[in-house]
Formats: sequence, C-alpha cells, structure tokens
Amino acid sequence: MDPLFLAYSYFRRRKFKESADICTKLLEKNPYDQAAWTLKTRALTGQVYVDEVDVDEEGIAEMLMDDNAIANVSRPGTSLRKPGTSSQGGPSQGVRPTSQSGRPLSGFVRPGTQGGRPGTMEQAIRTPRTAHTARPVTSSSGRFVRLGTASMLSTPDGPFINLARLNFSKYAARPNLAKALFEYIFHHENDIRNALELAALATEANQYKDWWWKVQLAKCYYRLGMYRDAETQLKSAIKQQEMVDTFLHLGKVYVRLDQPLTAVETYKQGLEKFPGETTLLTGMARIYEGLTEMDNAVKLYKDVLHFDNMHVEAVACIATHHFYTDQPEVALKFYRRLLQMGVYNAELFNNLGLCCFYAQQYDMTLTCFERALSLADEATVSDVWFNLGHLALGICDHNLAYQCFRLALSNNNDHAEAYNNLGVLELKRGHVEAARAFFQAAFVIAPHMYEPHYNFAALADQLGDLQSSYVSARRAVENYPNHTDSQELLKQLRQHFSLL
Amino acid sequence: MSLFKTREWWSTSVGEAEEFDNGCLCVANIDNESSGSDKVILGSYQGILRVYNPRPQKTESGWSGYSPEDVVLEQAFQQPILQVEAGKFSSGSENLVLAILHPRKLSVYSISAIAGSVAHGSQYKCEGLYEHNLQRTVHKFCYGPFGGVKGKDFICVQSMDGTISIFEQESFAFSRFLPGALLPGPIKYVPRLDSFVTVSSAWRVECYKYQVLAVASDSGGKDETQNIRSGKRVTFDWSFDIGEQGMDIAVIAFPQAPASILILGERSICCLTETGKLRYMKKLGYDPSCLLPYASLSEGTINYIVATHTNSLLIYQDVTLKWAAKTEFTPVQCQVANFKELNGVIVMLNDTGRLECVYLGTDPAIFVPPHVESRELNYAKMDAEMAQLQKRIKEKGQKAVIAPNRKPEEDLQVNIHVSPNLDEMSMATGVEIPEEDSVPSIQLRIQVKARMLIDNIKLEVHAPWPLATNRSDYSIPSVEPNTPAELFVSIFQRGNSLPAHLYVQISASYQSATGGSRITTLRAALPAKLVIQPVLPVKSALHKLTIDTNKPPISLNDIFPDMLGENAGGQGAALGFQFFGGPVVTVLASKTSQRYRLQCDRLEAMWIPLKELVSRLNQHFNRGKYGDFRASFDGSLPLQEYYELVDSHFECRLGATKCSEMLAQRASQFRVIERRLLTRFKDKTPTPLQNLDTLLEGTFRQILALGDAVEQNQMAEAVAANNLSCGTYLLNFLIRLWTDMTDEEFKVLENAVSPVVSESAEQGWQEMTDAAVTHLLRTVLAKSAKDAAVNPSPLSIPSDTGKVKKHIALLCDRLGKGARLMDGLAEKKERTIKLPTPKTISEEADTELSEESNAVDNVISPNFRSEKSRKKKRGVVRAVEELAPLGLPMMDKPTAGLGELSEAKNQKIRSMVPDLDDMSGGGDEENHIANGDS
Repeated sequence: MDPLFLAYSYFRRRKFKESADICTKLLEKNPYDQAAWTLKTRALTGQVYVDEVDVDEEGIAEMLMDDNAIANVSRPGTSLRKPGTSSQGGPSQGVRPTSQSGRPLSGFVRPGTQGGRPGTMEQAIRTPRTAHTARPVTSSSGRFVRLGTASMLSTPDGPFINLARLNFSKYAARPNLAKALFEYIFHHENDIRNALELAALATEANQYKDWWWKVQLAKCYYRLGMYRDAETQLKSAIKQQEMVDTFLHLGKVYVRLDQPLTAVETYKQGLEKFPGETTLLTGMARIYEGLTEMDNAVKLYKDVLHFDNMHVEAVACIATHHFYTDQPEVALKFYRRLLQMGVYNAELFNNLGLCCFYAQQYDMTLTCFERALSLADEATVSDVWFNLGHLALGICDHNLAYQCFRLALSNNNDHAEAYNNLGVLELKRGHVEAARAFFQAAFVIAPHMYEPHYNFAALADQLGDLQSSYVSARRAVENYPNHTDSQELLKQLRQHFSLL
Repeated sequence: MSLFKTREWWSTSVGEAEEFDNGCLCVANIDNESSGSDKVILGSYQGILRVYNPRPQKTESGWSGYSPEDVVLEQAFQQPILQVEAGKFSSGSENLVLAILHPRKLSVYSISAIAGSVAHGSQYKCEGLYEHNLQRTVHKFCYGPFGGVKGKDFICVQSMDGTISIFEQESFAFSRFLPGALLPGPIKYVPRLDSFVTVSSAWRVECYKYQVLAVASDSGGKDETQNIRSGKRVTFDWSFDIGEQGMDIAVIAFPQAPASILILGERSICCLTETGKLRYMKKLGYDPSCLLPYASLSEGTINYIVATHTNSLLIYQDVTLKWAAKTEFTPVQCQVANFKELNGVIVMLNDTGRLECVYLGTDPAIFVPPHVESRELNYAKMDAEMAQLQKRIKEKGQKAVIAPNRKPEEDLQVNIHVSPNLDEMSMATGVEIPEEDSVPSIQLRIQVKARMLIDNIKLEVHAPWPLATNRSDYSIPSVEPNTPAELFVSIFQRGNSLPAHLYVQISASYQSATGGSRITTLRAALPAKLVIQPVLPVKSALHKLTIDTNKPPISLNDIFPDMLGENAGGQGAALGFQFFGGPVVTVLASKTSQRYRLQCDRLEAMWIPLKELVSRLNQHFNRGKYGDFRASFDGSLPLQEYYELVDSHFECRLGATKCSEMLAQRASQFRVIERRLLTRFKDKTPTPLQNLDTLLEGTFRQILALGDAVEQNQMAEAVAANNLSCGTYLLNFLIRLWTDMTDEEFKVLENAVSPVVSESAEQGWQEMTDAAVTHLLRTVLAKSAKDAAVNPSPLSIPSDTGKVKKHIALLCDRLGKGARLMDGLAEKKERTIKLPTPKTISEEADTELSEESNAVDNVISPNFRSEKSRKKKRGVVRAVEELAPLGLPMMDKPTAGLGELSEAKNQKIRSMVPDLDDMSGGGDEENHIANGDS
C-alpha cells in the first residue's frame, strides 16, 4: 500500500495524527516531497481548526484601544455599546435579568455574551473578574494563545515549518501550495503577520482576482484590529464572488466597528443571495438580541428553525424568550424538544425545572432539579441551588430557601444574586446587620444588578442612614432607570434633604 | 442532535481489523440477476472482496438480521483493494461487471451465479476478464461513456500525482497531466458535458472536456504510453473557486432535478450548474464524512444525504434540512440500494468494517439518562432524618464560623528542637544590614514522625521578615512509622528592621489516610540572642520603662548568664543589648528597690528585651508552680510615642496610595499617547509624530521611576509595620502588667489591638483596629445604653489617625478605670493613670517634644481623672476648647501635621519623577492630548 495514499485516506477520515505521522516519515525519506508536505500542513491545521467566524473574543485592550468607533454618543438603537436604547424597548430588567453589559441574558452562551463593555481601562481592570466573567486582557494574548497552542507543542526536531526561513513570494506564486500553507500559518502557527504577508503576496500573484485570498487578507486585518482595511477587502471579495463566509466576516467586522445596523444590512444582502442560510440568519438574530430587540431576534430564530429544525441555539433562545415573556408552558415545549434531541446537561434540566414550576407542573419540578443537581459541575451547581432557592421562596419555605442560597454560596462565593436574596431573608428574620452585610457583598460583587442597591437603600432608609440610602438608590436607578420603587425612594429622600 | 435514529434492517461486521474508506462500497446488481435486486460489494484495504445479498426475514420480533447465507462471495487478493465499481466494462456484453482498483493494477471481473438445486446450493463465481498494470500509484478511478460511446463504460484512473489515464476497456487510450495537480481531488465524469469535474489542489472546481484531453498530445496521437514525463498543458473548460478542499463530488442527473454538480467540501456544500455557476451553497456546522444525492419527488429540487462525524445522517432538500437521524457510527460511504424485500435502503459502511442497511423511521433516538439514585420512600424515616438534619443545621447555624473539629490524634507529628547555642559558623546569607558584617544564625531541628506511612509531605518554614531561613520549603517523599524524618534549618536575621516577634511557623501539609488534606502547624520560639547582641550599657536614653516586682532585686548577671558579653565582669546592675543594625537597649536593675528599668532611644525596640526580662524573672523566681512572683507596671503608658509609630505607618500607607494614584494617572497618560501614536502609525498617509514619541518615552521613564518609588515605599512600610507591631506588643504587654489582666482578657485585648500588622491594600491596621476598639468601647466597655448603639463605618482608609488614637486612649482609660474586657468579671478598682512626665522626655528631647501634650493626654490628666465619668467627657471637650485659642501646636492637629507630612512625601515622590516640562516640546503636546483625546 502506498504510504501517501494511506496518509491521504487517514486525512479524509479525520485521523489527523496518523496522517501527519506517515507524512513525517515520507518527508524524512524525501524532504522535497511537496505532496506529503502539503498533506502534513493540512493534517496539522485540521487538528486545531476552529472556524474563524465563530471566534469572537474581544479583549479589554481591543475594546479600549479601539479608535474605530464613529461616535462616542451614538443615536439610540444604533449601537451595541448602549443596549436598551432601541425604540422597541426590550424586556424589563425586572423580568429578565441582565448580564454585566446591561443586555438581557441570552438563552445560549456565546463568546462575548457574558462580559460588558467597560468605559475605561481602569474600570475594566477593577470590574470584579470572577471566573464567570473573566475576559482576556487582549485577544491576541488570551484565547488565541489557547486555541493556537499547537505551535507550542514541543516537537522533537523543532517546528514543522520554519516560517522565518520561508520565501513567501515563491510560495505565493504556487496556488496549489499557498492556500494550505496559509491556513497552516493562520490556524496552526497563529502567526498573523506572516500569514498576512503571504496573503498579500498571493493576492498580488493572482492579479487581485481571487476572492479567497481577499477574505484571508481580511481575516488577518481583523485579527490585527485593522477593521476598515478588512472591510475594504471583504467588499472587494463580495464584488468578485458572493460567498457565505464573506458575508459572515463582513458582518463580524461591522459588529466590531459597532455598526449593528450595517451588519444587519450585510446579512440581509447575503440572504438575498443565499436564502435560508442559517448562519446568516443566526448572525442577524444575535445582533437584534444584542440591541435588545427581542421580537426581531425571535422572529429570525424561528426562520432559522424553518431551515434547520435541529438548531440548538435557536431553540434555546426562543425558549428563553418565552420563559421571560411569561409563557412557561411554551418554553417548556422548546426545552423538551432540546431534551429529545439529546441535549443532556444541568442547564437544560435546571431550565426545565423552572418552566415546570412556573407552569404549575409541580410533580416534575423537583425531579428536574434533582437531575440538574446530579449533572451539574462546579460552575453550574451554584446556579442550580440558587434556582432551587427561588422555588423554595415560591412555596414559602423560607428555611429551605435560606439553606439553598447558602449552598449556592458555598459552591460559588461570587454568587451575587444569592447574597442579595439571603439578605432579604435575613431582613425578614430581623437580622438587620447580617442583611446589610449580604447586600453590601452582593453589590460589591455585581455592581450591575439593581436589586442589592435598592435593597440596601431601603434598609438604610429605615435605619436612618439617609446618605447611604441616597447613594445606593441613585446607583439602583442608574442600573435600571425604570425601577419605580427606587425612583420613589429617591424622590422621597430628595424631598427630605431639601427640607433640612 | 436529532430526534430520531436510523432503524436497522440488516447489518454485519465485516472481517477483523480490516480497513475501509470511501470507494470500498458499491451497490449494484452485479450478478445481473433478473429480479434486479442489488448486492452489496465490499473491498477492503487488506485485499478481501466480499459480496453480500442481504435477505432478512420478517419475524414477529422484527427483521431476522444477518445470516451466513447472505454472503455470496468472498475472495482474497494479493493487493489492497482501493475501489470497487460496477459498470459495463466488458466489451463482450452489456452486463454489469466489477472493476477493482489495486494500487498498481486495474482488474475487471465478471461475477455470475450458478444456480443450485436448493437456495443455499447456488454458487457464485468470480471470473477475471482483463487487467491493466499501472505505472503510477493510483488514487481513484471514475467511469462513464467517455466520448459519447453507447452502452459501454470507459475507465479513467487518477493517480496520486494527478495524472489521469483513460482505458477504453481492454485497451489503453492515453495519459494526461492535469495542470497544477499536487494531491488528487475527487473526480467525476459528467455525461451531458462529456467532461471530467475535479477539485484541484488550488481548491478550485475545474471542468476538463474529454475532447480537449484526448487531443492534447505531444506525439500527435501515436504511441501513447502510461509512462509520460511531459505533456501539453491542458486548459479547463470552466472553473469555480470554492475556497476549500473538496471531499466528494456528485453529478446530479435525475429527471426531475436540474442538471447540476454537488460538491461536498470540508466546511460547506456547493451546488453548481453544469456551466460552473453557483446555484446555492450551505455552510455546514459539523464535519461531513460523505455525500449521497438521490432523486427528489418535488420538481426542481435536489435531495441529498450527508453523513457526519457527529454520528448523524442529515437529509437535505436543497438548503433545507428535512430529516435528521442518529446513526451508531460515522460512515465513510453510504449508498441507496433496492433489495427484494425492501426498496430504498441506505447502506452504510464505516472504516472498521461495520456494514449496515438501514431505513429512516420515527424511532426516537432514545437516550436513557442514567437513573438518579433514589431511595425507597419511607415517609416516617424520611421525616425523622429530615428532623435530625434540620437540628444539626440549626446547631451549626449558631456558630458563625464553621470550624472543622480537630481529630484528637494527628497522623503526623512535627517536633521542633531549637538548638540552645547559636551556630558556630553562621549560615546567614544575603544579609541586608549595612552596619553588620555577620549576623548569627541558629539551627532548628525538625523531626517529622508519622503514625502510618505518609507520602509526599510538604513542609514549610515561615520566618517573618526581617528573619529569614536558609531554606523555606522541604518536600519529604515519604515517612515511615518507625523512622522519623529529620530536617535542619537555620534561621537568621536578614532584613534591616526590628523583628516584631521571635517565632517561626512550621507547617506540614499531607494527605491523611482517609484522603483529606491535613495541615499541621507549629510555632517555635527563638532565643533573643539571635537578634540582639550584648554591648556596653548606654547611660541616657529617650524612653524609659520601669517594671515593679514584689521580690528583692537580683543581679542581672544571674538572669542573663548567656547574654553578658563585655559586661561579664560587671556588677550586674546594668546590661546593654543592641539589635543588629538597630538601637541599644539598656536594662538596669535597682540595687535598693524592687525595680528594673529599660531605656532606649526607640520605644518599640524595648519590646523584646522587656519580654525577655519579665519571662526570665518569672523563671528565676517562680521555680516550680507555686511562685508568687509578680511583675507590674506602674508608670504611664507610653501612648504618645506609640502614636508616633501609628502615624509613621499610616504615612507610609498614604504614600502607597499616593504612589499608586500617580502611577495610575501616568499609566493612563501612557495609554492615551500610545493610542494617538497608533492612529498616526496606522494612517495611510504618514504624518509627523509631533514629538509624541518623546512624550511616550518620557512618560515611560516616569512610570519606571514611580515603580521604583512604590518599591521603596513598600520597604519603608514593611519597616514601619514591624515597628508598629513591636510597639503594639509592647503596649499590650504593658497594659497587661498595668491592669493585671487574666489570660482571656489579654486575648481579647490582643484581638482588638492586634499586633499583627498585615500588608493589604484594602484594609489597613488603622481602620481595623479602630473598628475593633470601637466595638469594644460600645459593647463590653460601654458605659451607658446610648453608647452601645452599633453603627459601624465602612472599612476604608481614614483621612487621619486622630480617631484611632482617640479610641485607643479611651480604651486605656476605661481599662485603667477597672473595666473588664470579659463579661461577668468583677470590676476592678480604679487604677491611677500617670501621665508621661514631661521631665523624662525633656531630659534629652528638644523643646518641641515637651510641648507635645495633646488633647488626648489631657483626657487622662489627673485634673479630670478624679471627676465622674460623665463630667470627664465634658472635660475632654473643654480641654480642647480651652487649648485651641492658645494656639495648638501644629503636630497636635492630626490633619495639619499629616497633611504636611504627606505633602513632604509627595514632594519626595515628585522629586523622583523626571519633570515633563523639562523635555522639549512635551508640555504643549500634553495639553493637546488632553483636549484632543476622543
């Protein structure tokens, strides 16, 4: 059996390691075997390949060193930085909790849905960086290093390709080698600058007629933070040949430039050419979700389901939407579908349990939570306990609720919501000091929540500490401008102060 | 993810340890049976050809499955089988015959059945028709009626180097190079166009006309050989750039569907028209393994099956997912077959030889979640258990701190033996005391005993700065019960500061037999001679402390026999001790009265000698248990000096915040400049930098200088913290001697006015002590219910130390009045509190110091002391009021003095930082940045 044929067959079957090993042997015998060389680059790339469209981790440095923003004060509904300003008005914060960024919680965890966009570097660094909200300082140092660890794996005789000694212009002129080599440099070596050089030379060698190279150039520019250049390349590529990936990348560039509406336009343009492309639809839905235009987002997610009814993200997001719009029965249906499709994790059972509880199917509630607890890992078990605590509150078993919140905290002592609820329970028991300590802990950990601020303000008001009460009430209103109780309290305090 | 799974109709596992890949499966009516039912043909890389005719019977419990009679043919070949295809390759007949591709050979066989009298008696025969030996290693072949020939299939073999060779049945036609080939891609023949479609290494779909290939010959059609070395460059008819490697190509030629070409890439599926225009594409969210189009019922659409590496079969109609079914494995190839019993069966093969004939059905892909452990429901028992648990929770809930109860006997025992003598050869290294050439060291012998075999013990010796060890952590691979491990470590003074105490902490961590991690900690007291050396006594000093005893005086020579040094021959009335690199402390013993006196220029330095003195006196007089020796302190508490220590430490803390503020400010300035530079550099048209680079460098230097300042400040803070710690120990000790406290009370006091001065940015000693002392004053020491109202202020760095000083003074005052730190103890009688007599200070101190009797001291001045407590409180106010107009000394106003101090500190910090204005052109630019920053 010909070894190269076998290596190629392994490659086809995604047995990349075996394939690369055979190629290594072939290259030992004949270092100039281009076919084996190309196959090895592709096998090594295949081991670490992650679709670039899906990778979107914005580091702190990118956010703050960003000089591409068009306006610091954007019009309402045109920016992802100031969510909740759109005319449609998203769900109330009192109903659907928000993440640190001020956006409603999404039904599906994606990179970038957790963290917020802090205003300054100092603020960013000081924001409580718990394990759940951690964000790399720069994207070139954080996640990408982790993704590109292949380049750090020690190979006994040095790296496969010594990029420093590569004559890029020679390779750029050979289209059958260059593309595989580019992907190797970009994905495996994670050396964007060399990849850019190769892509630039190759585009030139192809007389600026190859759309693929333009998209690759744009990918490099994007990684280097040169979004405008990326945009130009992508637009030029679309003019040449419309491909799904090009539209996706262009949309991503616009999101990074904080032009969500242009991104939506791009996706729409792509959809005209590729009707029913789920990735484009999902991209649009995600943007609408970010803009808190939930109705549009859900409509798009439903479109996604029309073309791909196995789309987990769409099902989860629709379910979450229904849950928070007071239709737990409908949400239950969607979550059940996920369960039938084979999703089997603590989060799902947790959500199922909550839906059952609110849909008054009490018999199933505890069973679901039992399963959720048995499946939960360290990161989620505290959330499950927290939700169980809610359930206990719902059935007025304050003791159980107290114990549940304590358990949530013992598993994750950064759980601000649990602190807040414990505070309320302590207040009910008349332990003012403990309640105050819990509220304080809650808003120190999660300054973006309005509840602990308001609770603290109300408590301080009762104790006669009007100054603290005023400060906290103001913070609560800052976080949730439409919170009536906070506003009332603030008004009352202002009146009081003016009387003095 | 799928709702349903495939339903098995017939399956078998083929061979043992055989390998299969795409191409090894073929479904055809290979024996040309009249009923037209398909057979499954398999060829493995191990060279075994198998033909199956699945005939499962329907039984009550479903399909009967595989039976041995289903194997029609099994034949071993010498060479691996890379591909099997059925086609009209025989020149004699139009029957289907089998073409088998070996690495260097193409053979064509006909398979025929010889019917027997019974079903299992029929025989199958494999007969070779012709074969071609090939010059190059092959990859794949495709077939079709090349050149529009009717009723025949020609074969096109693609070799690993991209050459294609055409065989017109028994005869070889020609070989051609495809341009730019590196690795062969999938290749298919499109009959309508009479062309070959392939995906080249340039990740492009290319279409070559058969005609073009046929005529592109060097030798003009004569003597074509397989062994070509060169050839004319053939050009493609059309091409389409898909931008990824092709995995499979399918040519759609169904009557209802538009003629098109489906290309399965690694990440998407493209559908092209026959002229190379994109019809649609679909981006895949998974790794596909194979593609199979089949005829669609609805007009104008194409149905195809994609099998994935995530073990599912996905059925698409154009871009819409129609059905998804879970499979048991990842197929490398699938086909649709019509059998006698069932039409439209999907035949799947995986790479280890699992062959399955399945159909789709609404069998749910039931994933049975593992059973959650549940107990038999016994409500009475459950209630009892619940009640018990609740009780325990309640018990635990009472205790604020959940303390694990210690086992009576530890598995690991650590013993420490401090050697009585200093090391002969000092082990000290890296000593930072400039005045001393060498400092002594002392050896500790650490013995680790185990009750059972314990592995991997980590031992850590922590000596608080300025003390240090020659090695701080040890790891012991294992300790056996009868052979304890022994370690030696030397302790010495490294840093140039007063040690706060003379304890080293040794902790051993290990895994107990039950698997829990346990830690054993131990403290070892070091002798004082490690840090002080005997010198000649100094006559006069700033601070003096006098200790009264109830026993006749004794010669100091008797109680400090080991620390006499140069005083050895003396009378024993005076001894001098010097800290390494520190002040001299003189100990005097009165000849007549029962008093001992310590004097030193620095208050905090007296702590260790004082403690040493008292403990040695104790030892000397209280031999055995029933000694009645008692030391007491009757002088005035050295609060004023103590406050200085508090202030100097606080000043260091303020300096630290100041430094970090400036550092933050400079760092943000640095980032602003960086950002502006970045825009300049990114700009397409280069613009002058306008000295931004100079500014950047200047700021960078400032940051570095500030970093140095922070480091220096940290050092100073550590020294101040140690001094404060010493001072606090001393003060607490004196209060104890003064008020004759019990051990429990002393513990409370030490917890409130803690001698542990930890270094923390968030909460410092001042506010913690303030909070603790305030708490004491409001609880156990409270005079009235009004005082008892608790409203703690947040723990943040205070603006000055006035409050904490006042509270400590108040604490001392109340303690002096006989208040007890524990509830339920009888009030003691009031003790007299003596002011630090100005005389003692003024002896050596300059006049400014003598004026330093501040408001707080007035609080405890004898004038007001005798009054009732309520009046006394008023007295405080009055005293301040009276003093204020007379002109309070600057130092008395804590803010004023501190403000000045911190101002001085700021000046110091600033002076370390190079001035921006010094750099040419820098000043203007800075303003510019501040304004122009967007």
